[in-house]
Amino acid sequence: MAKIGVFICHCGENIGAKVDCTKLAAAMGEHPGVAVSVEYKYFCSDPGQESVKRAIRDNNLTGVVVAACSPRMHEATFRKACAEAGLNPYLCEIANIREQCSWVHTDNDQATEKAMDITRSMVEKVKRNNKLQPIEVPVTRRALVIGGGIAGIQAALDIANAGQDVVLVEREPSLGGHMAQLSETFPTLDCSQCIMTPRMVEAAQHPKIRLLTYAEIESVDGYIGNFSVRVRMKSRYVDINKCTGCGDCITKCPAKKISSEFDCGLGKRTAIYTPFAQSVPNIPVIDHANCIYFKNGKCKICSKTCQCDAIDFDMQDTFEDIEVGAIVVATGFQVQNNTMYGEYGYGKYPDVINGLQFERLASASGPTAGKILRPSDGVEPQTVVFIQCAGSRDPSKGVRYCSKICCMYTAKHAMLYAHKVHGGKTHIFYMDIRAAGKGYDEFSRRAIEEDEAAYLRGRVSKVWEENGKLMVRGVDTLLGRPVEIAADMVVLATAIIAQPDAKEFAKTIGIGYDEYGFYNEAHLKLRPVESSTAGVFLAGACQSPKDIPDSVAQASATASKVLALFSKDMLEREPVVATNNEATCAGCWGCVLACPYNAIEQKDILDRSGRIIKRVASVNPGLCQGCGTCVTFCRSNSLDLAGFTERQIFAEVMGL
Amino acid sequence: MSIEEQYRTRAKELLSGGAVKMVIGYGKGSNAKRRRPIFISSADEVDRLVLDDACITNLSGYLVSEGLLSDEKRVAVFLRPEGIRAINILAAESQLDAEQIVIFGFDVAGNEIKALKGINVEEFSDVIDSIKEGAPEAAEEELFEKIEKMSPQERFSFWQEEFAKCIKCYACRQACPMCYCRRCIVDSNQPQWVNTSSHTLGNFEWNIVRAFHLSGRCVECGNCDRACPVNIPLRLINHRMAEEVLGAFDHFAGTSKTQEPVLASFKKDDSETFIL
Ligand SMILES: Cc1cc2nc3c(=O)[nH]c(=O)nc-3n(C[C@H](O)[C@H](O)[C@H](O)COP(=O)(O)OP(=O)(O)OC[C@H]3O[C@@H](n4cnc5c(N)ncnc54)[C@H](O)[C@@H]3O)c2cc1C
Ligand code: SF4
Ligand code: SF4
Ligand code: SF4
Ligand code: SF4
Repeated sequence: MAKIGVFICHCGENIGAKVDCTKLAAAMGEHPGVAVSVEYKYFCSDPGQESVKRAIRDNNLTGVVVAACSPRMHEATFRKACAEAGLNPYLCEIANIREQCSWVHTDNDQATEKAMDITRSMVEKVKRNNKLQPIEVPVTRRALVIGGGIAGIQAALDIANAGQDVVLVEREPSLGGHMAQLSETFPTLDCSQCIMTPRMVEAAQHPKIRLLTYAEIESVDGYIGNFSVRVRMKSRYVDINKCTGCGDCITKCPAKKISSEFDCGLGKRTAIYTPFAQSVPNIPVIDHANCIYFKNGKCKICSKTCQCDAIDFDMQDTFEDIEVGAIVVATGFQVQNNTMYGEYGYGKYPDVINGLQFERLASASGPTAGKILRPSDGVEPQTVVFIQCAGSRDPSKGVRYCSKICCMYTAKHAMLYAHKVHGGKTHIFYMDIRAAGKGYDEFSRRAIEEDEAAYLRGRVSKVWEENGKLMVRGVDTLLGRPVEIAADMVVLATAIIAQPDAKEFAKTIGIGYDEYGFYNEAHLKLRPVESSTAGVFLAGACQSPKDIPDSVAQASATASKVLALFSKDMLEREPVVATNNEATCAGCWGCVLACPYNAIEQKDILDRSGRIIKRVASVNPGLCQGCGTCVTFCRSNSLDLAGFTERQIFAEVMGL
Repeated sequence: MSIEEQYRTRAKELLSGGAVKMVIGYGKGSNAKRRRPIFISSADEVDRLVLDDACITNLSGYLVSEGLLSDEKRVAVFLRPEGIRAINILAAESQLDAEQIVIFGFDVAGNEIKALKGINVEEFSDVIDSIKEGAPEAAEEELFEKIEKMSPQERFSFWQEEFAKCIKCYACRQACPMCYCRRCIVDSNQPQWVNTSSHTLGNFEWNIVRAFHLSGRCVECGNCDRACPVNIPLRLINHRMAEEVLGAFDHFAGTSKTQEPVLASFKKDDSETFIL
């Protein structure tokens, strides 16, 4: 005989104000099989949980229904309480009468009716619940970090310094990401390269870190603790084991006019190149598209120059399969292409540049050796106009969100300019100054007060060229009048956007993303570094626009999550997995295809003499994530999902 | 030589040479307009084979009879284009090995019999593609159009009336080559998803389950509605579903023996963002 306990939670006012909990408790008390039906203000509180435990012991309950908030909130809480009282945790179910009832209804009577339906249907389900035991799976203690910007490097170092193995994969020829491109960094104005390069070297030389640059993730299979990852090593055409990084090949390469990605088009590079002088590893790659030999079969000057015989024009991409237990995604961001703002003249006038290009001009290792010079004629600009929110907070043309860092780096740019060009004038068009962060407001005040940055609150409508000047027309909303400035250079604080391939890549690794392509955290407030997929964590600007301090903090947080995962020998997994009835399976393999986790295999059923009698589907409980896709597909109804068996679901439906 | 005679000769050769162990074809039925399936395993019997415009039953379903193909020997079968498509689906769903099937392809135009060239199922892909290109019409186009034009309420009551006649004999299921499951969902009683008694609810449940299980799979051979003792125009529901999957997924059932089932496959570049 079923002895079900029903525990109805008011959730303070959240449920209590809409659902008549007393009436609900009375009605459930009448329902066949219910032994206890009680209400309480907060069942998730300590005394609340204690009362559930007591009720289980006192009444020898065979099942528990907690009518409360979403199971995503407190299913784990109450299942644990049940286990502590000696009841198998899978005999406890949550009836969601908050998100699915009290929060969405206005009429009290109807809400109460509905709460009864929801609770009753759960009672009917619980009567058919089975005791389940958690599945234990081993953990591979090796982490994969994808992306070698500051976030990826920080995560890799933290995990490695705790003694665990890390594979760090970067798709560019060198580590560094955007931080390597920056000049000096807000809010302290320390040189980006000077703080970044040591980190890059440390990561490359760390005995626990295996660095794979110029490499990309092909596929990810498996699940938390047990991922298998296929990495494509793109052919560098330079043997990393032979090359000493002397750079002779780079000096001799005759293809010298290639626009440098690292310098954002402001500098040139050769066909065999390292992105920048401090590249890690300091090993060049040949740019296949621009190499003269690959274009017309003649040249090979680099290979003649190389003393170490390191250059191999026949090199092919290779693949490597690695097993890891956790994945940190730190794939960073991109800056938006400003050509969509035709009125600002980006792409049309060479002296209209974006913030990242300004970083390269201001950088000591940049194309102008740190001098602020106009791209068009190499002359020092005397008046510079900065336009903030060029793409951000602009639902019509750009993106709806705030890119978070542009206010700060524009203030920084104004300061760097003032320090480098004495007597130069800066004008900054802004919407708001968002300087929330330690030392940030002080920093932007300094730009105004000490470095005389002229802030103009308003938007720019047009930039055009007249008599060798860039004419900027905008409005100063505080003075309520239009302004026109004759500038020598215009810098756009371009929006920070997700990597162009972010959505595709999310599908490769199986994580969620938002409408813009930034990766979704499991819970914005409470689980900000976990992705929606167990065992995959997020660090840095791939999750949302971030500055360096935030990226590093999040990276260290992912490391602590990874280390917590690696602290166990075995992982407990929910026993919610599919099973197949081999007697009725028709062997159509629809489920094999449908399973998004590749958890279903084909299995031969043999007779005594080893002849195949039948082929059936067989679910690997280690791989199954309990999504239920196969169950809905199977026409012969052979598959069933533990914890959500057809009998349970049927009872639940009929209980409504 | 008529096609009937040509095919008899070919059947004789195949059987006497041992190239196939059986020929499944049409024989005389209880009256002049009826043909019944015959199963011939000896070359002496080939004269029993008949091929005329009354040969309409899709014979492909007999191939998946328990044990028939398990000795890996080849079996020949008379098939119209729909039957050939059915072979592709059965192969794609691992119910048979297409290499084992020798096809006697034919089509009927008016009362004219046309031979379709080829032996293995792959050789008929042009025929199948041209059916797909031709945007196939429903069997009873007029009635289909009429149903399409109805309001949802009218359509519901139309089907309600039709399904009210159903006696749950499951002849439609037995006749369909795609209904090969050893245990059909309607026979599963733990829980009993589909009500066994033949009243409105149960009848609806059954016929809708059938429509779903056949979407992207039905080849519109008509075996089901010819088998139905109460003349429910079953094929029209399946035709509607076929149009649906063709429009939404560009899926035409049975174009190749490796075609992925439409309801089990997904594309990574699907525009739906909920697919991870
Ligand atoms: C103009 C400008 C100025 C800035 N100034 C400052 C400042 O002064 N102070 C400050 O705190 N912040 C500043 N920032 C912000 C700073 O650049 C970011 O916070 C930081 O770079 C984020 O680091 P990340 O590692 O998350 O991303 P990234 O630096 O973008 O690194 C991501 C890395 O992942 C790699 N990658 C991407 N996809 C893949 C893949 N599929 N497989 C393998 N590798 C992949 C990329 O190649 C890259 O190396 C500035 C940003 C801009 C645009
Ligand atoms: S879908 Fe069902 S019948 Fe088909 S192989 Fe899978 S379990 Fe068997
Ligand atoms: S429930 Fe089925 S489809 Fe989902 S992961 Fe498990 S086996 Fe695969
Ligand atoms: S549902 Fe009917 S028309 Fe379709 S394949 Fe089956 S028997 Fe033929
Ligand atoms: S053949 Fe006709 S009467 Fe029989 S179950 Fe099918 S639809 Fe119903």
